[in-house]
Amino acid sequence: MADAPILKLVQVVEEPQAPALVSARAPGRARKAVPRAKRILSVGGGKGGIGKSLISANLGIALARKGKRVVLVDADLGGANLHTTLGIEPPRRTLSDFIDRRIDDIEEVLTATGVENLSLISGALDHLEAATPKHAQKMRLLRHVQALDVDYAILDLGAGTHTNVLDFFLISDHGVLVLVPEPTAVENAYRFVKAAFWRRMRNVAQLYGYDPLLRQVMEGTSFKSPVDLVATVAERDPEAGANLARQLAQFRPRLVVNQARTPQDAEIGLAVVAAWRKYFGLEMDYLGAIEYDDEMWRAVRLRRPLLVARPEVAAGRAFELIADRLLAMDSPERAPEPP
Amino acid sequence: MKRLSDQTLYEILEVSVEAPPEEIERAYERARALYGPGSLATYTLMSTDEATLLNNRIEEAKAVLLDSDARGRYDERIGVRPRATPIPAPPAAQVHGAGTPWPPPASPAATPVPEAAITSSTAAGASPSASPAGPAPMALQTPIALQTPIATPLPASLPAAAPSDLPASPAEAEAGEPPAVPTPASPGTAALTPSPAAPVTPAASAPGGAPIPLKHELSAPKDLLVPEGAAWTGEMLRQVRTARGLTLPQISERTKVTRHHLENIEGERFAALPAPVYLRGILMSLARELRLDGQKVSRSFLERMAAALAASPKK
Repeated sequence: MADAPILKLVQVVEEPQAPALVSARAPGRARKAVPRAKRILSVGGGKGGIGKSLISANLGIALARKGKRVVLVDADLGGANLHTTLGIEPPRRTLSDFIDRRIDDIEEVLTATGVENLSLISGALDHLEAATPKHAQKMRLLRHVQALDVDYAILDLGAGTHTNVLDFFLISDHGVLVLVPEPTAVENAYRFVKAAFWRRMRNVAQLYGYDPLLRQVMEGTSFKSPVDLVATVAERDPEAGANLARQLAQFRPRLVVNQARTPQDAEIGLAVVAAWRKYFGLEMDYLGAIEYDDEMWRAVRLRRPLLVARPEVAAGRAFELIADRLLAMDSPERAPEPP
Repeated sequence: MKRLSDQTLYEILEVSVEAPPEEIERAYERARALYGPGSLATYTLMSTDEATLLNNRIEEAKAVLLDSDARGRYDERIGVRPRATPIPAPPAAQVHGAGTPWPPPASPAATPVPEAAITSSTAAGASPSASPAGPAPMALQTPIALQTPIATPLPASLPAAAPSDLPASPAEAEAGEPPAVPTPASPGTAALTPSPAAPVTPAASAPGGAPIPLKHELSAPKDLLVPEGAAWTGEMLRQVRTARGLTLPQISERTKVTRHHLENIEGERFAALPAPVYLRGILMSLARELRLDGQKVSRSFLERMAAALAASPKK
């Protein structure tokens, strides 16, 4: 994945020369010294109550059980509850200590979860003001997450399309988009992923100085879709159009359908991928569907993660499958390990 | 990445140009279900205009492709070779595991002259009246001159850059190859010739047209006139620097950029350069010292770098 310079949104180090725009390097490029490529995975979806936290927790467990060292980061700063889904007490130290600089190293916030290879950085916050961190605080958090010595850092994002949420999503190697097959959730998922897309577009435009060109194109013509916009840019400036398309192609969300009650629900994922390609001209990877399962609800009530309480149920197997697909993506030369 | 109005009817239905009628029928039903009113998967995805356009084109595709005469004429117009015998269609798009695109990406059908000429900006498909209800494909405008060949670099370069985590379909792979040819920046090539890919359109050069003072200031060596819209190569930056009588250590001293980076910029050793977000600041400083338009220099150089790195094999 190092064949094109990949624009990311968060700076790794302070860089006074760089504009307000943010960026990070691809992990593989920036840290050649570390043999293992670290992956940041974020779980978002726009709407609340669609299972982002449960997916984060169970995916984390599934990856940890496959021998990966995983840290769950509760990035839902206003409504952190990941510790509850894992059945542990609210940790003494949380991100608020880190954000308020009461501690310097994020590793001090790590809490054991009872699952081997899996730890938690809780977001449970004492202070309301810390729920909306300032830009610099957010950047510091992301830098520290990137520097964690783990295989996977899984960020459980909050609902909505706040720039904080979008930026976490955009810096991730895997931005997981959660969709529940209901119109409200579909609407919010599209709003979320479109907002992320336009934010990336804006960042690319700033970096390459396309702002005037884009403004001109957007004013002059009534473009109908992102494809239309890029095509119009390409007509005026082929180089810019080609580069824009190349940079935007890096935007490749991973889709998970949650609470699938029928086989048709699972197929919604395929349909969304097809429609996204047609309308945005971009790819999305469908990781799979998680069946609706009362066991999931029971597990939450017991405050035990599904993969600990009832790993054998259908939803539990779905998490295993999704974890396998993620691992396969990260090592294309190796087939997914059998569950 | 092709506009809906620029896609062929085959691409609209995402079937191959060889697809037999039954498959086209199935693809039509699928497309109706996916993009028609009431579809959950596309709820709020598209604007109303775009959804209308797409649905009109789906109807048009059915009308034309399921009428063998109309289809024959259409194929001829878009440059598809006549089908001698109906070739068995590729396996119908079924539900596969994750990552398998569904429906499969329509094979581009090797039509270098796609519908751009037919449905170009006049958007034949956009108005319902233009889409024939029956087998009357001639409601499409007769092919005029190819007006919009410009859009071609765009779809071509996209698959090449897309991360190929998953097995790409042969069609995608095919489409991915050619763009490597036009894009690669050839470092050190005649720096002062205007890049062919950067036509001087008023639109492109109007905003921030600052390099005008350049010609003026660089009047000493007359071969340093920089054509409007030319690509800023490392070699070109070196020439401007020497024309100004500046050395690398001097620039380094003034910009606080290490000489190492400056050398790599001039030598276009892209792989050794920092990430674009940092490099942009460096290029802006360098351009300031050379009294060039930083926006244009950085943008042009970063584009060359992105193209070159995308074209070069993985390390």
